[in-house]
Amino acid sequence: MTTNIAKPKPAIPDLPVAVLLAGLSIGFFAVVALVTGETAQLSGEGIAGLLQRMVALGLVALGQTFVILVGSIDLSVAALISAVAVLASHVMQGDPAMMLPAVLLCLGFCAVVGFVNGALVAYGGINPLIVTLGTGLIIQGVLAASFGVLQGAVAREFQVIAYGSVLGVPYSLLLLATLSLAAGFVLDRTLFGARIYAVGGNPDGARLAGIRTERVILSAHMVASLFAGAAGLYLAARLQSGTPWIGRDGIYDLESIAVTVIGGTILAGGKGGVAGTLAGVLLFATLDAGFNMLGIDAFLKQVLRGAIVIAAVAVHAVRTKGHVA
Amino acid sequence: MMAVPALSMTGISKVFPGVRALDGVDFECLSGEVHAICGENGAGKSTLMKILGGSYRPDAGTIQLAGQAVRFTHPRQAAEAGIAIIHQELSLLPHRTVAENIFMGREIARRGLLDKAGMRRKAAALLSRIGAAIDPQALVSSLSIALQQLVEIAKALLMDARILVMDEPTAALDERDSRALLGLVEGLRREGVSIIYISHRMPEVMAIADRITILKDGKKVWTRPCDAAPIDEIVRAMVGRDLKDFYPATPVSAPGEVLLAVEGGTNAGLRDLTFEVRAGEIIGVAGLEDSGKGALAQALVGDVPFTGGAVTLRGKRIALRTPRQATAAGIGYLPGDRKSEGLALRQSVRDNALLTLRSLMGLFTRPQQGALAHDVIDERLGAMDVRAADFGQEIGTLSGGNQQKAIIVRWLAQASDILVFVEPTRGIDIAAKAAIYETMRAFADSGRGIVVISSDMPELIGIADRVLVMHQGRVSGAVPRGANEEDIMHLALGLADAPRGEAGA
Repeated sequence: MTTNIAKPKPAIPDLPVAVLLAGLSIGFFAVVALVTGETAQLSGEGIAGLLQRMVALGLVALGQTFVILVGSIDLSVAALISAVAVLASHVMQGDPAMMLPAVLLCLGFCAVVGFVNGALVAYGGINPLIVTLGTGLIIQGVLAASFGVLQGAVAREFQVIAYGSVLGVPYSLLLLATLSLAAGFVLDRTLFGARIYAVGGNPDGARLAGIRTERVILSAHMVASLFAGAAGLYLAARLQSGTPWIGRDGIYDLESIAVTVIGGTILAGGKGGVAGTLAGVLLFATLDAGFNMLGIDAFLKQVLRGAIVIAAVAVHAVRTKGHVA
Repeated sequence: MMAVPALSMTGISKVFPGVRALDGVDFECLSGEVHAICGENGAGKSTLMKILGGSYRPDAGTIQLAGQAVRFTHPRQAAEAGIAIIHQELSLLPHRTVAENIFMGREIARRGLLDKAGMRRKAAALLSRIGAAIDPQALVSSLSIALQQLVEIAKALLMDARILVMDEPTAALDERDSRALLGLVEGLRREGVSIIYISHRMPEVMAIADRITILKDGKKVWTRPCDAAPIDEIVRAMVGRDLKDFYPATPVSAPGEVLLAVEGGTNAGLRDLTFEVRAGEIIGVAGLEDSGKGALAQALVGDVPFTGGAVTLRGKRIALRTPRQATAAGIGYLPGDRKSEGLALRQSVRDNALLTLRSLMGLFTRPQQGALAHDVIDERLGAMDVRAADFGQEIGTLSGGNQQKAIIVRWLAQASDILVFVEPTRGIDIAAKAAIYETMRAFADSGRGIVVISSDMPELIGIADRVLVMHQGRVSGAVPRGANEEDIMHLALGLADAPRGEAGA
């Protein structure tokens, strides 16, 4: 199953981090399962269940990787996820015929949000933290105020995304794998990917090399929002109807940033990739599953997660320093 | 031969709010010609090149390439027209490979898909054309500054540039690498490329240029063939003063007692250094880029401390484990990279000048009292002739020379005994250079000492009373005042213990 992670064939220095993290995560999971005697977790079904934990965060984090690589950041994803989930269930109202229009409407909405975020950051020159915090608050506020009229539920057929599977492999996992491969391919093999690295690595240099940096930043923000939309649709399918708080309760904004950074993408931009991010998501998923098996208290879980995020980034810092010296 | 020039710019004018940056400047460059532009900082060189490169649009004037009028609105158009600019500051992506950097912004791609193998192949060809033994797959962060500069050049040549602008290409290079670069320029000239060369290093300009154009205050002073333009005339045209007044006069009095003595100083990059600085002395330190001269500065200021050996100041043994200890002991540091190591660019001139004083004050010292008072520090800044409309303005808005003077004031306020200068005049124009040399001399004459580490040999020879030459982490010799460049180069290359003189005194 780790093949998903290795396949996009990232830039050379990125690979070891991803492999290391993924190995550690799987090792931790296996050891905990054996120690607690929950060997069922190591069956095909158990693993599929583990990997399914990755889907929602994984989708958001893929998009977050694009904006962080370009030197920006997106804090509005949590609110956007909620908005998409609510919007999808409201438009569908359980009617399968409305599935396609709902999905298109949601993704269109995400594209608009991404465009606004990107335009404010790239052309307005406003700090991305502030821009996306602001748009996130606006979306969240509108959502909370109008939730009363936005009731609804997604169509039963739509829930196949979350619960259906083919040959034992859940569709949701296939969705994550496909989108990961696509994202990895775009970053590694396409002109757009090269531009993202160039702009994130050295905005002035990129501009002087003739790159229209504003467009690249704007596009990256649209990608991030669309991925958040995909996550929102997935969550709507899983929960049958959206509430205005699912994004916020999942802390998808901060966790997507955390896993991206754990995966070796640097906040300054220009270095990192999809493989690392997926490994970071896997780490979070195995920690969650492992802590559950161990029966660790929910609050202690938070503490341990926090400590692990810091430790992981500290390890990167030390590694990079050693590399430079 | 004298057909149409490859480039001709006529009557170029550009006005920025409050400044007439360029005023009717004419400039031309033939193919296969190296045309140097000299002028003080602020004379308009960079503005002229930014107009050529499409970053700025001129208010008036025309640009012709091989007789065809052109008009650029984005750097991309200039690049496509065959103009390549190698900028003063490196614009590389440290975390990406050499090949990816060379092709930044002009990747070979079909329908959006990158042709990585093709780029690698072309990058390798390009690198071998300029004689650089660099693996296109290497990460840029793993290369030395000199090699990075070569990557930068390969990047510029990618577009098959007919006109190549080099803006201070050797500023970050030492002597050996500079020579290699000049060889490269020679090769490109033979290929028929027009090269516009901007540099503050006169010997380089004289060695390489066919013609020289002098700019001053946004106007062209003259353009002459190189043979008709002796150095002192160039300098006079640039600043209106003679070269012999450029470096301060040698002090008449002999150096006094020993101020700073290093004995057997050793760390990862330095081996068994022994030397001393006397009161009133300016000690120069020369060497190639990897000679350890930078490590010496870092050790003296406690940044990367000595791990062995002893340092005494005025006969007292001192510990130099951190910059704070060095500062408290009376050793001040003026880094070569002012922007990142020397200044808080967004803070005022005054705040920058007070930085050390404040950092050593007790936590509860009342601000703006005693030595921290505005009028006290303002007076010091005024005495140093730091030119600013108001010392409350951001220091980032000042010229390099004035910034350097403000840093000097910082250490004078701390009453330091020893100042360690690294590349004191890098990127600083000629007139300000003279003022800085003047200040250094005056500091030394007041009974204190200076260690100046520089890649600019004429500067070391002109200013230092003694030059230590380093090679592979050791002092390979010392030369007295009045030595010539060859002597120093000999020692720097580790060729001989020839003029040992007072080595390691």
